Amino acid sequence: MNPNLYEAQSTLSHGASMLISNYVFPNDLHVHWSMMIVLYPYITGLVDGAFIIAALYYLFDVKSLKPVARFSLLFAFAFLCCATLPLLLHLGRPERNFNMLLTPSPSSAMAGFGYIYAISMGVLSFIVLFVYRPDLVERGKKSKGVMKLIYRALTFDSDDLSKKALELDTKIIRFLVGLGIPVAAVLHGYVGFIFGGVKANPTWSTPLMPVIFLFSACVSGISAIVLAYIVIRKLGSLSIDAACIKTCIKTLTGFFILAFSFEMLEVFSHSYLKTGYHHMVEGLLNGPLASSFWLWQVKICSVIPLILLGFMAFVKMRDSIYLPISTIVSAILLLQVFIMRWNVVIGGQLMSKSARGYTVFHPEWFDKEGILAVIIIMTIPFIILYVLGKIFPFWGDAIKGSISSKPVRKTGGN
Amino acid sequence: MLSKHAMRIILVVISVVAVSGVGLLVKAQLIPKSFGLYGAYRADAIDEEAQRVVRHGTNASCFGCHPYEAKTHLKGDHKTISCEFCHGTYSDHVKSGKKIADLPVKKGAEITTLCLRCHNTEIKARSTIVIKTVAMPDHLEQQKVKLTHNCNQCHNVHAPLKYINEAKKITGLMEEH
Repeated sequence: MNPNLYEAQSTLSHGASMLISNYVFPNDLHVHWSMMIVLYPYITGLVDGAFIIAALYYLFDVKSLKPVARFSLLFAFAFLCCATLPLLLHLGRPERNFNMLLTPSPSSAMAGFGYIYAISMGVLSFIVLFVYRPDLVERGKKSKGVMKLIYRALTFDSDDLSKKALELDTKIIRFLVGLGIPVAAVLHGYVGFIFGGVKANPTWSTPLMPVIFLFSACVSGISAIVLAYIVIRKLGSLSIDAACIKTCIKTLTGFFILAFSFEMLEVFSHSYLKTGYHHMVEGLLNGPLASSFWLWQVKICSVIPLILLGFMAFVKMRDSIYLPISTIVSAILLLQVFIMRWNVVIGGQLMSKSARGYTVFHPEWFDKEGILAVIIIMTIPFIILYVLGKIFPFWGDAIKGSISSKPVRKTGGN
Repeated sequence: MLSKHAMRIILVVISVVAVSGVGLLVKAQLIPKSFGLYGAYRADAIDEEAQRVVRHGTNASCFGCHPYEAKTHLKGDHKTISCEFCHGTYSDHVKSGKKIADLPVKKGAEITTLCLRCHNTEIKARSTIVIKTVAMPDHLEQQKVKLTHNCNQCHNVHAPLKYINEAKKITGLMEEH
């Protein structure tokens, strides 16, 4: 790297309010897409990953995932409700969160996203309703007044729990999940595409972007499910299904290897091809992003989990050791994906359009898009999840036998 | 014969189709008539925007009442700079040809801040051929003046080199190149 191109945090004389280096245009100084735009792909990623876990059970018959399958659906639903919230808050209209789903239009890439959002919301809602129908029917029978009406509406006013009816439900669930997989894949691939489509930004403008986003989405979603499952069950003093966690971790390992490989392949292709803007990307990764990319994203949050996951795959260990390590790995990987989003979204904006200078970004606590806003936005899905949990039992422990909303079929799932 | 459950599901499907259909109809009704005439926006918005009251004036609008400043400004290196750039919006000052309020006048350290908006060397993208830029307080040190000095203590804000050139004429010093 030419040392003249990047002078890390050059010492400035009076009058300059920011740390900048070289040629940064006045309109490049401020990072316009900040933490809300980091949260946006992060939340959609969680939706995707959680849906993959549900899909593995409901469509691909990976039986060991049964304990988390229903929970993943609710988790995906709660986060999907807030997926567009950070974007709309960034635009100053958080109350228009659902408008994006209601008013899709082919007139722009972002408005076109509305079609995918609307379809995934519709599909996911119906999957949840069909999966939970037996529970809801039972609960409806026991409840009175308004709640009885709500349960009647949620069960399509059908209290039929006969074998034939449940088989029909199963078929519908399989069809909807089958439809949901490509929709979920497109949903997150599209997030990557939105960034990849910004031709003016050399770090974003790569066809690998949708692929990288999709795989890291699966990583974050599965990690979130593992972490949430273990934490919620522990808090409720409930047993943890080790076989289920093992399957999750195996799936997670696969997706993480793919995600990390593609992240590194992108850097490799940048440095090998040495395209017109290579000097900028190299300067960015070794300059303003040296710590958040190489140290945090790659060394701490990718290499360490890879070693741990390899250890878990090759060494036989007791559940009492396996489960805590799973929790740690999941937490680190959740952080890895967040940092990866940060490095792509904010990192991509830390360079000047003059291709000569870099700027820095400092998050603020009480900004409209500050750290506090991030915490609030990330809390909302959990509140939704909590409320949903009052109507839809997470684990379905209450009613046994009647919830087998999938056919009994022998497969070598996991 | 279909079971009651199957009938309910068919009803759900019909409802979804019906709701979507009604949604599309409502959407069609809610979209403004002129939307999409020229592009993905409301064509009427063009006229509405054109009706906005103009808030800004030109330098000629100011010079009518400020002949003294006009004389200095038009001779100086700042002659292409808009008055409003430093003084504020015309409509905040004049309405229907009558003065309605004073425009804020920058004083003291505020003046230095205002000058550095353009003349700061740290703004690297600024062409130094077009705009002379300085670093503070290096410039004050080089000129051997107090570090508390504001720009307007040496430079006339309308014609930045006015006093400098006059001083040079009196002392007989020539510009070094």
